[in-house]
Amino acid sequence: MRRLLPWLFVVFLASVPQWMHDQYFLHVLINTGIFTIAAMSLNLLLGFTGQLSLGHVAFFGIGAYTSALVSLGFDLHFNDSYVFVFERKPVWFAFVCGIAVAGLCGWAIGRLSFKVRGAYFVIVTISFAQVMRLVALNWVDLTEGPMALNNIPPITLGIPGIWELTFLRKLPNYYLILCVAVLSYIVIHRLVHSRAGRAFIALRENEPLAASVGIDVTRYLVLATAVSAGMAGAAGGLYTHYVRIVDPDIFLFIYTVTMVIMVISGGKGTLAGPIVGGLIFGMLPQVLREFARPEAQWIIYGVAMMVIVLFLPQGIVPAISALWRRRSGRSPDRSDPESKTMAGLHTAPGAAP
Amino acid sequence: MTKVVLEARNIAVRFGGLIAIVDMNFSVHEGEIVGLIGPNGAGKTTAFNVITGYLSPTAGSIVYRGRDLAGLRSNQIAGLGVVRTFQKTSLFGACSVFDNILIGLHRCGARNAWEILLDLPRVRAEEARLRVLAADVLDFIGLSARRSELASTLPYGEQRLLEVAIALAAEPSLLLLDEPVAGMNPSETASFMELVKRIRQRGITILLVEHDMRMVMGVSYRVVVLNHGRIIAEGTPAEIQRNPEVIEAYLGRGAARA
Repeated sequence: MRRLLPWLFVVFLASVPQWMHDQYFLHVLINTGIFTIAAMSLNLLLGFTGQLSLGHVAFFGIGAYTSALVSLGFDLHFNDSYVFVFERKPVWFAFVCGIAVAGLCGWAIGRLSFKVRGAYFVIVTISFAQVMRLVALNWVDLTEGPMALNNIPPITLGIPGIWELTFLRKLPNYYLILCVAVLSYIVIHRLVHSRAGRAFIALRENEPLAASVGIDVTRYLVLATAVSAGMAGAAGGLYTHYVRIVDPDIFLFIYTVTMVIMVISGGKGTLAGPIVGGLIFGMLPQVLREFARPEAQWIIYGVAMMVIVLFLPQGIVPAISALWRRRSGRSPDRSDPESKTMAGLHTAPGAAP
Repeated sequence: MTKVVLEARNIAVRFGGLIAIVDMNFSVHEGEIVGLIGPNGAGKTTAFNVITGYLSPTAGSIVYRGRDLAGLRSNQIAGLGVVRTFQKTSLFGACSVFDNILIGLHRCGARNAWEILLDLPRVRAEEARLRVLAADVLDFIGLSARRSELASTLPYGEQRLLEVAIALAAEPSLLLLDEPVAGMNPSETASFMELVKRIRQRGITILLVEHDMRMVMGVSYRVVVLNHGRIIAEGTPAEIQRNPEVIEAYLGRGAARA
């Protein structure tokens, strides 16, 4: 049942456009999906290695800009005599480049902060995101600065000359994002349930002890950062080819905060947490826009967040699974007489006067 | 005489003006159980930290099986088979007992990230093998009944056993135990002494820091006494118990401080 549940959920998500024909709702779902992928990538770092990256949007933005630039082509003027011209490349290639460059940046950040943990890791990542934003703003030659990169081509897939599919409309984009999300989930699932994932958790739980049993903590932190950054880059690439415009505001701190809210409220360190949190806090602002007055929208958003953090400090998913275990827990207790009698034996001598 | 496996040569450690260890020399032979004792603040844990790379010595060198450990990081030293436990209970608290052991078995696995991402058959084969090994370790230490409980919810004595189990999972050839029976009751201590002997029978050399004298004297082949960062005596438990300098270090001259 537990193994089947994620797949049932995927089937459900895949069926949504079949009975839901509202294009605006589909747009909301696509945006939510993109941010959920980013939240899943952040969860790999925050939930499993325990390192809070408050500059996670940097990787998202790097993926977006790289993918946009590679698909548009660009030229760099080093001086009057030398101009480097980069021809436009197919969009799928640009998308892969976006993932690679973001992953490489993640690797570099992981290496740079190899001795930096906790608050210092947070500062390094915040600074990195701010630097990226300033670069995007000021390197006008490359990024067009605040004028933004326009007319970014949508993703196309196909065999040249035989068959081609352009992801221009919302429906194919929705399925593309669903596919990438499922892939990301599989990547995280495999990593976390492996030797590498145990090394991540060991780093989170007790770093000196992890080192004492021979775990190269730095190496695994770098691995987690690189995979996480690459995944955020993929989300950025999807975003850029969907909205087809990218400006320096993509590096805004608020996007990182959104991702952190999604991860924490859903349950950090759980596979389903960022998905649940992502769906709730991705949809909530749009839903509120329908039903609440503008000044009330963000108040409701904030209150909802506080309620979750206050009453479910571990997040929604751990709370639900604890509830599930308690409700079904009575039957395993009965079916497991050993634990019952063992407990009975231990308490009996003390209880009997 | 059997082969020397660990050798501390002229180790000195200073923290600013504080001298923690002055010119420490001692060696551990293959298959021995060596007790390292001394009053509080004598430098025992500092010695452990130096051997396992958590601290670099101000002077001197540590040689393990002919290899100088200078400049190696803790995890690399563990990779050579020198595995320690910690004075303060140190576990992966939010993980189950079984997962604690699986983390400890890190060194017994070899699959890298690419193989894991592709979910190759050998990844699954290794995972199955590690789970068998983990069950063996739990069996050996006697915590099999607790395998699915959270490490942080175990009673204290079992937490200390689990620490040793994690270290054993890392396949040590030299095991360093830092006050393993501190806080245990006499019967727990007695069964822990049996455990130490059983670990020794697996061919693992043991270096032990402990305050419980009955325990140290009961299991050690040889005892090294540290006081004020200096080794003041070395010998069999019987010799150490008669050594006037050791008695003075613990009780003071003429029992004035006792």
